[in-house]
Amino acid sequence: MNTQKLTAASLDQLAADCAAKVPKNLIRVGMSTCGIAAGAEAVLATLRRNVAARGLKIAVEQCGCAGMCYAEPLVEVAVEGMPTVTYGRVTPQIAGEIIEQHVERKLFVQDYIYTVKVDDEK
Amino acid sequence: MRNKKTIFLGDSDQQGREKAVYEALAAAVKAESLDAAVQLVRVAETGKAGQGVVVRILPENIDYVQVKPADAGRIIGESVKKNKKLEDLTPPAKVRQIKIVLRNCGRIDPERIEDYIAGEGYQALKRVLSERTREEWINEMKLSGLRGRGGGGFPTWMKWNFAYRMDSAEKYVICNGDEGDPGAYMDRSVLEGDPHAVVEGMMIAGYLVGAQKGIFYIRAEYPLAIKRIQIAIDQARSYGLLGERILGGDFSFDLQIRLGAGAFVCGEETALIASIEGKRGCPKPRPPYPTVSGLWGKPTVINNVETLANVAQIILRGGAWFAGIGSPSAKGTKVFALTGKVKRSGLIEVPMGITLRQIVFEIGGGVLKDKRIKAVQTGGPSGGVIPEHLLDTPVDYENLQKLGSIMGSGGMIVMDEDDCMVDISKFYLGFCVDESCGKCAPCRIGGVQMLGYLRRISEGKASMEDVDKMERICAAVQRASLCGLGQTAPNPVLSTLKYFRREYVEHIKERRCGAKKCASLLRFTIIQEACKRCGMCLRACPVAAITRSAANVYTIDPAVCVKCGKCYETCKFAAIKQE
Repeated sequence: MNTQKLTAASLDQLAADCAAKVPKNLIRVGMSTCGIAAGAEAVLATLRRNVAARGLKIAVEQCGCAGMCYAEPLVEVAVEGMPTVTYGRVTPQIAGEIIEQHVERKLFVQDYIYTVKVDDEK
Repeated sequence: MRNKKTIFLGDSDQQGREKAVYEALAAAVKAESLDAAVQLVRVAETGKAGQGVVVRILPENIDYVQVKPADAGRIIGESVKKNKKLEDLTPPAKVRQIKIVLRNCGRIDPERIEDYIAGEGYQALKRVLSERTREEWINEMKLSGLRGRGGGGFPTWMKWNFAYRMDSAEKYVICNGDEGDPGAYMDRSVLEGDPHAVVEGMMIAGYLVGAQKGIFYIRAEYPLAIKRIQIAIDQARSYGLLGERILGGDFSFDLQIRLGAGAFVCGEETALIASIEGKRGCPKPRPPYPTVSGLWGKPTVINNVETLANVAQIILRGGAWFAGIGSPSAKGTKVFALTGKVKRSGLIEVPMGITLRQIVFEIGGGVLKDKRIKAVQTGGPSGGVIPEHLLDTPVDYENLQKLGSIMGSGGMIVMDEDDCMVDISKFYLGFCVDESCGKCAPCRIGGVQMLGYLRRISEGKASMEDVDKMERICAAVQRASLCGLGQTAPNPVLSTLKYFRREYVEHIKERRCGAKKCASLLRFTIIQEACKRCGMCLRACPVAAITRSAANVYTIDPAVCVKCGKCYETCKFAAIKQE
């Protein structure tokens, strides 16, 4: 764990460094109580396993509840050059398809998208 | 790849109508030889409701609604190919969620402080420590109009100002994370999804009132929230954001967690303080208010999780910005846990002043199975029901109170025609009776008495006189109880009586429960003409209330039947009548 004590100036530096490090290719899995109850842990494990096995350049991270609890587990996929989308009711099998179709072949998986992120909703 | 377009399409009411449009669009794409340049994607959900098939074209971000297969040629030929917007298919502006409290939830890894810092995290703290005076910042909070999100709606700045003006070397800030209303989980999600926002809110509150210590009071039933808050505290400490001389200045502050053991009354601030002090969780009469004499007799500010999550944004964007959102008497947004008989249950954050109808039908997507909405329950056991004809009321503290309910912490339960109002008020009152601490007589005795009347009504054993008696007890409990739990416990009873008296009368006079919820008033019989003599009901009955005669005729003995409904569910031939 970090032991650097922040000052007003170094906080800004850290913020800039951290913002620059946000990966362009990123998968996020909703891992709050609602997501975990719906099976998000297995989905996260499947995604991590697949990404590692195929040596893909995409980060897999956890995040909190995005609000759409009825559609958990939620998986947000940001791939450079493609619109960012959130898949819902994802099973480990769908997670495999997301890796194969969306991340590798740059084709969206049919029938599981719940939201499409557009600029004015940031 | 760069110029590739994506066309997302889905049915806003999940009726599968997007399939035909998909085929038509696919044919149109082929006809225009755009196969390589366009991907068609069927989505599971569109975020809209009642607008037929919805099409969204990216990267242009064009939305079309009520799309029919016949429109496919125009969409591809004109909109996609020539960038000509089709006005007749463009949707009207809709209600939008505004995410202030939930801005980071689902967007950052809550277990990494770096993610929070990357998105202007702790910048508000930095500003508060380095710019302007404490009075000026408290004034900024006043300008924002932020009121407590735990239910009471007390102006946040006023609490801070009281504590700030107290002359004491020791002061405390407490985050109330003892969220206990059935069906409400806004605070849990914020603590789990964006813990640092609450930590930062507490630090700002601590600095402005002159406190050195902050305490998170979180119910023990929220293990993940507790874990993530502990991680957040440890990480903030490791960066020197908690501890001595924060950000190199002269402000020192630290945080710790105390667990609530699951008593609902401990969400009340004086009971919560007693609980932290290791005493029994009983409320104390106020005044003195905690801002004067709180934890260990010292000035203490207690704010709800959601209130604190708003603070950093108000500091960064200014009180005027926050005051520009919402309704005249209630500024900003409110997070609601929308649950019950609604299609899209979950957490929503909407500007104050939006109507319940907009929440249920535009954001929630309408009632499950498209049944008729009967009412919306707000405020949990302290709140009440709001009937269908009042759903156009703008949501704010005063309006809901006028209707006999409260804003509460943000639970919002949608009820349809299958919900019995007597049963609902029995459930909520039963909850308050269980959770009453027993210190004051009106709540302890009155609650049990009211519940007794409700039970008798639901069993068809009451008279109309009993309703009058119950109403009188309600009035006494409201007036004479020591704390909010007792004062508000009659709300579910009174509001259902106010708007659904007819249902009470039906239970009492006709001994009938229209929604078929009150088991004692139900009767199960076998329709002999429809019965196929399969014997499934006999095997399903857990109490052997169903018998088969020598002539192979099945009957239910009402004296033995416990009205569980197993036979009704099991029968494949609809030969069991429930009435």
